[in-house]
Amino acid sequence: MSTYILMKILESAPSRYDRGIGILTLGALDGSYDRMVSPIQQGDRVLDIGCGTGALTIRAARKGASLVGIDVNPGMLDIAKKRTEESGLGDRVTYREMGVAELGSEPDGGYDAIMSGLCFSELSEDELGFVLNEARRILRPGGRLLVADEMKPEGIIMRTLHLLVRIPLVVITYLLTQTTTRAVSGLPDKVREAGFVVTSVKHSRLGSFMELSAQNPSRQT
Amino acid sequence: MMNTITYVLLNVFYTVTRLLPFSCRTGLVRIGNPDRDSPVLLTCNYHLTVLRVKRAIKGLDGYLLVAKSRGINVWCAACGGHFTHHDVISALKTSGIEKLVDHRNVILPQLAAPGVESVVIKKKTGWRVVWGPVYARDIPAFLENKLTKKDDMRKVLFPLADRFEMATAWAAPMSLIAALIFLPLWRGAVAPLIFTIWGLSLAIFLSFPLYERLLKRQGAHVGFPVILWGLVLLGLVGYLIYWPGFSWPFLLRWGAACLIIILVLTLDLTGSTPTFKSGLHDERLLAVELDKKLCKGAGFCSEVCPRDCFAVDKPHKTASIPRAEFCVRCGACIVQCPFDALCFKSAAGDKISPETVRRYKLNLMGKRNVSL
Repeated sequence: MSTYILMKILESAPSRYDRGIGILTLGALDGSYDRMVSPIQQGDRVLDIGCGTGALTIRAARKGASLVGIDVNPGMLDIAKKRTEESGLGDRVTYREMGVAELGSEPDGGYDAIMSGLCFSELSEDELGFVLNEARRILRPGGRLLVADEMKPEGIIMRTLHLLVRIPLVVITYLLTQTTTRAVSGLPDKVREAGFVVTSVKHSRLGSFMELSAQNPSRQT
Repeated sequence: MMNTITYVLLNVFYTVTRLLPFSCRTGLVRIGNPDRDSPVLLTCNYHLTVLRVKRAIKGLDGYLLVAKSRGINVWCAACGGHFTHHDVISALKTSGIEKLVDHRNVILPQLAAPGVESVVIKKKTGWRVVWGPVYARDIPAFLENKLTKKDDMRKVLFPLADRFEMATAWAAPMSLIAALIFLPLWRGAVAPLIFTIWGLSLAIFLSFPLYERLLKRQGAHVGFPVILWGLVLLGLVGYLIYWPGFSWPFLLRWGAACLIIILVLTLDLTGSTPTFKSGLHDERLLAVELDKKLCKGAGFCSEVCPRDCFAVDKPHKTASIPRAEFCVRCGACIVQCPFDALCFKSAAGDKISPETVRRYKLNLMGKRNVSL
């Protein structure tokens, strides 16, 4: 039914995802995620889109927020749940097996903040447009959208450099985590198009990693 | 003409690289001149699959949704948890199809049934899943028949063309690896090695129907390579006697090479076929069990079973599994039964609930039995 070698690698992915990502980002992701949750306050209602193994979710829960983490991968969610319980944050976090296209069931303005780490780069253009519109709908006026992800840098020289670095990285990413990502291009513009006000954009040195913070100006008209 | 050449070349490329995933663009594709009542078909984003589906439905009017399966074919992706209802829902909600048609019926490949929960799709989106045929070539007839399948449209087969594809899929990467290893070491060995790899691979897969019955016997996965190697050794001895004259070093060298090739090819021979369960997964030891008390004879199981294991008795509102020996443990019936009347049972008697099968698919390597 299946060819063994490929399946074996794919099937063991969730348990190796974290280690894989850690190696790939040389630990830089931790600092980025710490910065990302800094605006989150005690009592905030926060949604983590593509929570994976809960790295970002748990950070936000530690700050006293109540969290909903969604992901489509039950294997990842199992690890996230286990970690959350071990950190004693079980009562503050709810995990749901749910994709970005299923956010329609969330009520308008129900969240103070929406975060997403390394998830947008796994989405298609269609999905990205959809999730940004939904994010705007379910964030309260003044609520924040916080994104950290792999981006296509601006400018032809940076793009070429990025491509050269990226090709081997794509191979390594696949070998370590069995996910392929498509670096997002023009995210700040897309976020603006969805009606957000972009408040800060921070690039990594090569311009290939971006931390973006945006605000929902008012209730959608 | 140009299109046909491109199609053939792409087919060759994807057959040679069959063991690797290749993604293509997801989203909506218009076929012909669709209107608001045109059928909506959905498939995975393995590039070769999309090529073949598009070719099969050329000339029809409709919409094709390409959903994310991480570049893996429908069946493997569905069984491995890489093609689920989340991917289907995403295609339905984010592609814009809801604005283009008035109906809410989406035709899915039947082989997606082990991973895609039709009930969840209906509940979250209102779209009704219609299980289409196993093979894309049957789609036109299926549409003409008002979305009903003939019995043979449900079954997976392993015909000559597919066996040739599998032989190529194994022989090509093995040849490449052998060439890379032996080019610097022993150039003269490369050509005969590649010849042997292709010869054995083709022989094993093309003659599959001759010996497949024997593979069901206990210990076949050890016995089969040993017998095959024995035959090959006899052939080698014969060759030596009639041709260059008997030589022990030659026999040892090529005997060892053939053993390695045979071991690689038969490592998961049954798993390389669509008609047997992989010999390496624990799931091969599971059996599908039917709880007659819960069964209502609705026939969801026989609708999605690619091996025609089920018999449904509609008047008595019950089903049975008279052809259980053909089961490949794909789990489709368990996942789709709305009454939870089916489950897996291990040789030791442990039951694996439908809920667990739905959650983890066959994406387990034993994890289904182990709590995290």
